[in-house]
Amino acid sequence: MARKAMLIDESKCTACRGCQVACKQWNELTGWEYSKTVNTGSYENPPNLTPQTWTRIRFNEYESRQGFRWLFLKEGCMHCGEAACVDVCPTKALKKQADGRVTVELDLCNGCGYCSQFCPFGIPRLDTAGGVIMSKGKTSKCTFCQDRTDNGLTPSCVKTCPAQALYWGDRGQMIAAGKKRVETLKTRGFSAANLYGEAAVGGLGRLYVLVEKPETYGLPADPQYPAMAMMWQNVVQPLGKIAIGGTVLGTFLAWLIIRRNIKMEEVE
Amino acid sequence: MNGQIQEAGHVFQIRWIPKYTFVERLLHWVNTAIFIPLVVTGLVLYLDALKPLAQGEAGQWMRLVHRLVAILFIAVPVIYGILQPRRLWMHLKEFAFEKEDLGWLKNAFGYYVWGKHDAMPPQGRFNTGEKINAIVMIISWVLFVVSGLIMWYGKGIVSAELFRWMVVVHDLTMIVSVCMLIVHLFLAVAHPLMWAALVSMRFGVTSATYAAEHHAKWYYGPKRAMELYEAKKRNASHSA
Repeated sequence: MARKAMLIDESKCTACRGCQVACKQWNELTGWEYSKTVNTGSYENPPNLTPQTWTRIRFNEYESRQGFRWLFLKEGCMHCGEAACVDVCPTKALKKQADGRVTVELDLCNGCGYCSQFCPFGIPRLDTAGGVIMSKGKTSKCTFCQDRTDNGLTPSCVKTCPAQALYWGDRGQMIAAGKKRVETLKTRGFSAANLYGEAAVGGLGRLYVLVEKPETYGLPADPQYPAMAMMWQNVVQPLGKIAIGGTVLGTFLAWLIIRRNIKMEEVE
Repeated sequence: MNGQIQEAGHVFQIRWIPKYTFVERLLHWVNTAIFIPLVVTGLVLYLDALKPLAQGEAGQWMRLVHRLVAILFIAVPVIYGILQPRRLWMHLKEFAFEKEDLGWLKNAFGYYVWGKHDAMPPQGRFNTGEKINAIVMIISWVLFVVSGLIMWYGKGIVSAELFRWMVVVHDLTMIVSVCMLIVHLFLAVAHPLMWAALVSMRFGVTSATYAAEHHAKWYYGPKRAMELYEAKKRNASHSA
């Protein structure tokens, strides 16, 4: 199955935040519990992604010789090609679908939070219900509206975007469209325009057309699959199973040999 | 305490000498009752066969048990230090390595698997294996507590990179200490030569004959123990 992707053209985004609302409406996310509206001196709201806010427009305030300008960034899960969250998830609640979407099965999630800590972009949010002792909360993040995309629809944010900054389709086509848009932007004087996420971390499922360097948007310039996830899953855990299994086998063999060599009548 | 066993005309007299205090034995068994549930509730995240127990609500219960028992796990050495600080200090000093420990390590395989005892150098109240077990337990207690508390309370407070390290450290510590536990259980419960171990952890005493043979430096004192050991080696080489 061809990999799907979302192309986000940040040069067109007007920060209307229709995507935030559409996401909440479709996924039935409450508005106030985790993200009370707070005036932080910016139009940006809510202040961060939360278990109830899976996508959000970040208002990067950027000043250059041309003066002040906002660089909007539609935050959310990147649906990495090599998804560390899926690899470290001990419950298999996080799944990599054949078309590249990283989905969450909440019934399986126990809220361990490894996904939130191993994500190279720091995206998944853990519900804090039950407090630090009971920890009844679960993880949450953008699933590209799994129930919509499974049925051939576009994610709700793409459907609603009035600026036509969001596109959904086969990843190859999205990359081609993104590159074309970057070329157009360059001819219009945006010399730093670039396509973000084509190859990073196995290729992202969320591609950005940016008019400035990724760092200016607060995106990691060179995101990496976390080395510790590799170390843990591919080295420590398999070797640990060999070590524990070997110890059980070794002591059992030692027991078989020693009980033949020792006559208990002679032991003092 | 003296035990007498009548058997087919022979009289065995076992002289018992004290080895562990009541508090030590109690805390040993409390620690056993703590560590096994900690391993079980932790392994659900590790072994694929136990995966259903890690998922959803079952996993949340496992975590709750793991955390509540972990509080006791943290407490046990602290309680020992409060109740019997001198015994704790004495033990810590006895866990230090000496040059005889190398000889013990060289001959341990022959002894524990083939039952050859002659080459084992004299040992103090704890032999090299027991020292290794104790040192591994002390270090793993520290690593378990530090990495566990950071994973429990540090999420979102410490950097993601530190958290990732703590996950790996917790896992590695578990692997090493579970291997140690398996060997410990084997020696304590199944190994025919180690019959005295379970007796001393249950009743706090060990047989004088056993102590003379296995813990000569403790039983005779270091000087006399070395003399006996050298004499035994001379006899062995003469007769050979």
